[in-house]
Amino acid sequence: MSDLFVALTPANLLACFAGVVLGTIVGVLPGLGPAGAMALVLPLTIKLGPTAGLIMLAGIYYGSMYGGSTTSILVNVPGEAASVVTTIDGYRLARKGRAGAALAIAAIASFVAGTFSVVALQLAAPFVARLALAFGPAEYFAFALLGVTLLANLTGGTRAKSLAMVVTGIMLSTVGMDPLGGTVRFTFDVAGAQAGLSFIAVTAGLFGVAEVLATIAAPADFAPVAHVAFRALYPSREELRRSVAPMLRGTVLGFLVGLVPGPAATIASFVSYGVEKRVSRYRHEIGTGAIEGVAGPEAANNAAAGGGMIPLLALGLPFTPSTAVLLSGMLLMSVTPGPFLLRDHPQVFWGVIGSFYIGNVMLLLLNLPLVGIFARVATIPPRYLMPGVLVLCAVAAYSDNNNPFDVWVMVAAGIVGYAMRGLGYDPAPLVLGLVLGPVLERSLLQALTIGRGDLRELWSSAPAAIMLVATAVVLLAPAGRAGLRRWTRGRAS
Amino acid sequence: MSPRPAARRDHWSALGLAVLALGYLLVGRRYPLDTLATPGPGIFPLAAGLALLALAVWLLVSAARSAPDPSGGGGRPRAPLIMAAVLVLYAAALPVLGFLLTSFALVIVAARLMGLDDWWRAAALALGVTAASRLLFGTWLGVPLP
Repeated sequence: MSDLFVALTPANLLACFAGVVLGTIVGVLPGLGPAGAMALVLPLTIKLGPTAGLIMLAGIYYGSMYGGSTTSILVNVPGEAASVVTTIDGYRLARKGRAGAALAIAAIASFVAGTFSVVALQLAAPFVARLALAFGPAEYFAFALLGVTLLANLTGGTRAKSLAMVVTGIMLSTVGMDPLGGTVRFTFDVAGAQAGLSFIAVTAGLFGVAEVLATIAAPADFAPVAHVAFRALYPSREELRRSVAPMLRGTVLGFLVGLVPGPAATIASFVSYGVEKRVSRYRHEIGTGAIEGVAGPEAANNAAAGGGMIPLLALGLPFTPSTAVLLSGMLLMSVTPGPFLLRDHPQVFWGVIGSFYIGNVMLLLLNLPLVGIFARVATIPPRYLMPGVLVLCAVAAYSDNNNPFDVWVMVAAGIVGYAMRGLGYDPAPLVLGLVLGPVLERSLLQALTIGRGDLRELWSSAPAAIMLVATAVVLLAPAGRAGLRRWTRGRAS
Repeated sequence: MSPRPAARRDHWSALGLAVLALGYLLVGRRYPLDTLATPGPGIFPLAAGLALLALAVWLLVSAARSAPDPSGGGGRPRAPLIMAAVLVLYAAALPVLGFLLTSFALVIVAARLMGLDDWWRAAALALGVTAASRLLFGTWLGVPLP
């Protein structure tokens, strides 16, 4: 536990500061998103070493949750998906002249939720890691399968499209050497492809290059930003009082949603908004500029970001694109997340957790006085920012393996990612399929070998059986519901 | 009656996925399946390819039943195509001409396509971005650049 103080060394404090500032800027800027930004700075973080590098990456991840609310409130443009719901009441509050109070409540809610989720993460992660020691290949296979299935149900677009993207990602993960025997597959004799498709190149392409192409296709218009004086940042006593309950509800709800695979921060913010519309004493005001509509969702998306770290740190399984980049960074720095992380790299584990506390304080201190500056970042025309993103994408892709083939992968992923947006396919499931594909393949083949070819080995333990049943329920429930509806309608007519 | 744009897009994208799945399954035949007790490198790709094929069929059926999409196309369809072509050229030229020259040209073209009409400004931006990236990653952090 004394390793928590590792976060206080000057290098780690600086890495944390750089991460949260960058994260806030990424959150403020519509488009790129935390996963893309984390992939772009990977070459830099690798040079910092495992602890400082991961502290910086994690700072970008939760910093973006803070920053996303700023433009939602001031210009009605959400910086990232988890802040979409904040525009509803946040922007209306700004138009009523309460922008400062909304921004302050968003920052305080983010701080409260972020801190709660770190405490919960600190308590739960070692416990989950101990439980995970009992996990064998069958349990890992069932858990990863449940994860990708849930993810396909929860991301945007239709379920069939999301599932198709998960499977496409899994297929792409089979390029290169197979995880058990070392057979080279699907490389078409391209030497650069033998190590597999670079996850960083694919992420930089799907999120970074595709965003640039989308911006070129439809340049965004930028609204003028309201000036917020420092004095106007103080919420009234009434606003503070009304925010407490939604903040606490959003925090607990967000953390629990964060444990579920999928775009947890976005879902948590929408669920919290829905809950406030049902249970708040001021529910009739929600949607017209109520502080509850800011406090609840902002707490929820930050708590979910913390909750999402548990499967990554304790099991080594990422269920969001951002935690997948974090996993990739860990592996590049020779740190293997999972049950043994705490034993093998206690300084990294506790250092990163310690940095969450410090990062949350930094974000609160930064977001209150500097909110006007961050909001102005959103008004920089894309023609000055986006060309630089292309160069960063190329550097990130190339430096992953010093391999020109990865630049081709990045370009191809960018063009495909742009086409996917137009066709209504979400890139997030593909990215997670690519990351979880090797886990699925390795655990499936190992389980089959252990069971000497008996498929029953896959559900031989209670946890594996429960997770496989849950997967089947998740897959079949929508079809069952539709069938039931048709049957009921048929009976009625 | 004119075809419905969303359904047509879904139809073609589902066909594309089906072709991808079939191609993948065809290439995957090279890798042995062996037995379930000693599974070979072909068994997982076979399962993944069949799953994508099934999903592509599901998408094709859904596209045939889908409702018309009220949203129009909009935007500037040619500009991203030009940018995509430039990116392909960039990937081809990078190992030959090196990072500085290719990235300089890439930023100029991207800035122009995004509406930066002034050539001098575009060149200044390209110079700034390229030099800053080279200094930060190449010199300061020692990241190898092509």
